[in-house]
Amino acid sequence: MLKKRLIGVVTVRQGLAVQSFGYSRYLPLGSPELVIENLDRWGADEILVQCIDRSVQKLGPDFSLLKRVGDLGLSTPLIYGGGIRHTDDAVKVISLGADRILIDSILWDSQPMIEAISRELGVQAVIANMPVHIKLGQIYWRNYRSSEEVLLNINTAQQLPIEWISEILLTDWRHEGFSKGFDRRIPLVFPIIKNPFILFGGLSEYDQYTDVLSIPNVVGVGIGNFLSYKEHAIQNIKDKITAISLRTAHYTAE
Amino acid sequence: MNRKIVGVVDYGLGNHASVRDTFKSLDYRCIISSDPEFLSGCDLILLPGVGAFPAAMSAMRDRGLISFLCTQARSGQPIVGLCLGMQLLAESSLEHGLTEGLGLIPGQVIPLEPDHWHIGWNTIEVINQDKLLLPSHGESVYFNHSYVFAAPEEYQIATAQLKESFPVAVRLGNIVGLQFHPEKSQLTGRAILKNLVDGLTDA
Repeated sequence: MLKKRLIGVVTVRQGLAVQSFGYSRYLPLGSPELVIENLDRWGADEILVQCIDRSVQKLGPDFSLLKRVGDLGLSTPLIYGGGIRHTDDAVKVISLGADRILIDSILWDSQPMIEAISRELGVQAVIANMPVHIKLGQIYWRNYRSSEEVLLNINTAQQLPIEWISEILLTDWRHEGFSKGFDRRIPLVFPIIKNPFILFGGLSEYDQYTDVLSIPNVVGVGIGNFLSYKEHAIQNIKDKITAISLRTAHYTAE
Repeated sequence: MNRKIVGVVDYGLGNHASVRDTFKSLDYRCIISSDPEFLSGCDLILLPGVGAFPAAMSAMRDRGLISFLCTQARSGQPIVGLCLGMQLLAESSLEHGLTEGLGLIPGQVIPLEPDHWHIGWNTIEVINQDKLLLPSHGESVYFNHSYVFAAPEEYQIATAQLKESFPVAVRLGNIVGLQFHPEKSQLTGRAILKNLVDGLTDA
């Protein structure tokens, strides 16, 4: 039986792992490699590294970080997002050790490029990040570079290249980093239903995880800030969530 | 004692670094190469894979690797394909149109229907009592694919279940394909790789 996933999210800004609060305030955590290594040892089901300033500053992917992370010899699947501009970037990200890529800016800039990347890597390797929030019962998609928002409804959603992406990361950007912040209406009103969802942003409590993971189209949750400064947080969460089919918590002392 | 050498085929696509690091952690020697001379001297050839079938076959053709791999398979050199690497062992694939594969194990790669994707951790059911995988029966491993190798039953050695059951490991003699990523399946995956390398090279 396919298990639902707990995905450790590492947010990187200016080369440092940070705690982020609504993507507007940041507290440094330190070396991304150390945070990633801990998630690997604690048995996260996937690790997502999102470098949030690479596209804004037009820097491209952080290949140096990827090389250092690759040298860690992770045994946990790695998703990388940040600065990916074209197929060559995407292929290099994978060759340096990532298993899947997270795209965001390309969704706004060049949808044909998404098809090109998927033809090279396979659709399953491509995840779309969509920062969203709900206002007056309607869902809005945010371009984080320009701070513009687009109302998402059936018509606007049909223009997205969903056949060239696998899963959609629905990021509740306003509540990201805030305990119990996630707006659970997001997966329920999001107008695309073909692609599975990963939810992220303000998911901090056991009952929240159980609640959103019980939504059929939700395949995983991303957890960021709420894993910080805790030992073996992934196993603790898995031990507490018994109503959802999760992979058994493993821990390696290597 | 001589350490066994795993030769990872470099065809320009794929997660070579992850695979290399995993084998090194298991105390094997590991080289990444597209040079037939290096690869033919290895105890086992490994075809990694993250990518799409046509792009991978095209890249292998450009590097002159197709006839080399077929020759090595006929000679009995163990070959293991991971994920896309498993699918490349097939006769053909329907991913982005019809593309000919290596044809080392009968069968065709077809879209995974009705589920579209198989992403995440799933348990495997080992069938046909295959000794290489039997210790891992019922374990969870990491999958990430949208096409499946529809091999005839006699070549299937493990299946997984979504809405329907489908093959996730195939074998013909010394040629083995795994649809999942043992290199990213933590302790379970490492145990599988060790059993595979030792089982195929000690035979």
